Amino acid sequence: MTESAVIETNDLSKSYGGVRAVCGLNLSVPPSCITAFLGLNGAGKSTTVKMLLGMIEPSSGEGRVLGSPIGDPAQSVALRRRVAYVSENKRLYDYMTVEQIIRFTRSFYPDWRAEVERDFLHAYELPPDRKIKKLSKGMRTKLALLLAFARRPELLILDEPSEGLDPVGIEQLLESLVSRCAEGTSIFFSSHQIPEVERIADHICMLDKGRLVIDAAMDDLRQSYRQIDLVFPSVPDEREFRMAGVESIRTKGHQMRVFASRNAETVMERARSFYPSSVEVSPVGLRDIFLETIKEN
Amino acid sequence: MLWYKAWLETRPRFLICLIGITALCSFAVYHGDHQALSYTGADYYRYVLLSGHAMLCESWVLAVTLLMMGGLLREKVAGASSFTLALPVSRRRLMAVRIGVGLLQAFALAIVPWSVMFFIGSVAGKTHSITQAAFCLALLLGGGLLFFALALLISSLVEGEYTAPVVSFGIVIAIAVLFSDRALRVYSPLAFITGFAYLDRHTWLLTGPVPWLHLATYLLLAAALTAVSVKVIEWRQF
Amino acid sequence: MLFKLTPTTGQPLYIQLMQQIRHATETGALEDGDQLPGIRTMAEELVVSPNTVAKAYSELEHEGLLDLRQGAGAFVCVRRRVRSRQDSVYEARKRVGELISELREGGLLDDEIRRVFEAELLHAVETVARR
Repeated sequence: MTESAVIETNDLSKSYGGVRAVCGLNLSVPPSCITAFLGLNGAGKSTTVKMLLGMIEPSSGEGRVLGSPIGDPAQSVALRRRVAYVSENKRLYDYMTVEQIIRFTRSFYPDWRAEVERDFLHAYELPPDRKIKKLSKGMRTKLALLLAFARRPELLILDEPSEGLDPVGIEQLLESLVSRCAEGTSIFFSSHQIPEVERIADHICMLDKGRLVIDAAMDDLRQSYRQIDLVFPSVPDEREFRMAGVESIRTKGHQMRVFASRNAETVMERARSFYPSSVEVSPVGLRDIFLETIKEN
Repeated sequence: MLWYKAWLETRPRFLICLIGITALCSFAVYHGDHQALSYTGADYYRYVLLSGHAMLCESWVLAVTLLMMGGLLREKVAGASSFTLALPVSRRRLMAVRIGVGLLQAFALAIVPWSVMFFIGSVAGKTHSITQAAFCLALLLGGGLLFFALALLISSLVEGEYTAPVVSFGIVIAIAVLFSDRALRVYSPLAFITGFAYLDRHTWLLTGPVPWLHLATYLLLAAALTAVSVKVIEWRQF
Repeated sequence: MLFKLTPTTGQPLYIQLMQQIRHATETGALEDGDQLPGIRTMAEELVVSPNTVAKAYSELEHEGLLDLRQGAGAFVCVRRRVRSRQDSVYEARKRVGELISELREGGLLDDEIRRVFEAELLHAVETVARR
């Protein structure tokens, strides 16, 4: 997988003054997959993406996108032909109209897809003559998405693509992501919308305070994270459960709740040796995985 | 299409400046035609056209400074720089187009008002000589590009939608004030472009050969500032 | 054919899809020779990653339940064994039904019974997965 990873970073770091925005990031984004990039605001997601696109220079470490090194300005131009990007703020040129910016952007990409442009204009009800300055935030997002999706990129990098969209808009976005992925485009997107991520992502990368805390296939997360609720006549010491894979333990009265990222089986075996009156295992949704992981850090 | 973008970006500013300067200069010539006669014995229309040129020089410097506000740093403040920088274009190319469009506009801002002044003079039967007009334009465009490059550099260094113009205009005013001293006047780029140093007070004509060496020096300085601006943008983090 | 995948059950989506297709063949909702949408269409309909659908299809092809034809889509091939499987599913339902009434008589609420079933099934799946 490493050989053909579409995005690969090696100890990538960025500091602003003394503040470390990204530290020692080792990312490996698989090809032809939908990869979600999660993290709180300010976790370093946008900084990472900007480093990948050569907009800011890493303080240390290196990275490759579609095989070309990110620091090289000459290769970076060629790379940007193969990568489509929608930025976090979705700001475009206020002085252009919708039609003008489409014409402008189209001129850079010979493989522009007129049918996609038409479909998006229609589905998103974008007024061609309206000045971008007069568009609402949601409309601007839709326009930015149109400009990225009407191309044929090998890699699509989207920073918070669903922000400002209504539920219908989000659904259309997800469908577009699925279609692009089916065509072989690799997708790397950041989002706060956990339910949508959970549905379409193949792979999850989670960033917290500039560090990569989760890098796993969505299916593996689904299968390995478990919440184990135990009831004991006399509750054993929490230390008994401190083992590999246990992320957190909470005790209240006779109850104990163990949150495990793996090895749920071992936890249950240990629990049984203390004669619990009840053992319940339940799967953990991505939302709880996210919250627990962030909290633990 | 980058030219198209640079044009759309500056179009309102450029048109306002063009119309404004042309109107101002035309007014100066027209108004001067009525007023000047009483206190100058020289061929008054030459004087009139030269006062028009002086007016043009001042407003041209301000207009060019205003026009060169913009580019990636301004886009960074507005948020659109992420879009521009994701285009498959090098930063050098972006700068080149911006400078190209800026130069064309700067030339238009000098040539159009001068042509109109010349035309007004001709219509009134007070034809000025073409060589005199060309002399004035050579001084303005040669020396004036220093202000163009200065504005470009400041717009590449100073972030903030209003900070950059304030700093730029501040520097222009500072130059004007600093060099207004009699001793320093010879070195004043503003005095150079108005052409008063080459003016014969009896004939009200610009005399002597075109100061090519001076022009070359100013152009070289402008080129150096421009090169620094391009480097700054290439190094800059967005 | 309508499928519904639930992302939060702790079970990979491709397994859910496999189970639902299998179930559909067992109940007769899908019959021998029926065509399923292609990977892309199915992914767009369910709004899940195409890789999820691809994985489910290829696993089912491996099991012999689907026949993937390049460009033509996926076709169901239900063999005789499914018939006998249908009978065993029927048998299982009867036995589970009996067990449930027994548990109810023992004073357990439906909700508790469901939780016991789910916990045991999850446990079983994990034990199998670990081997």
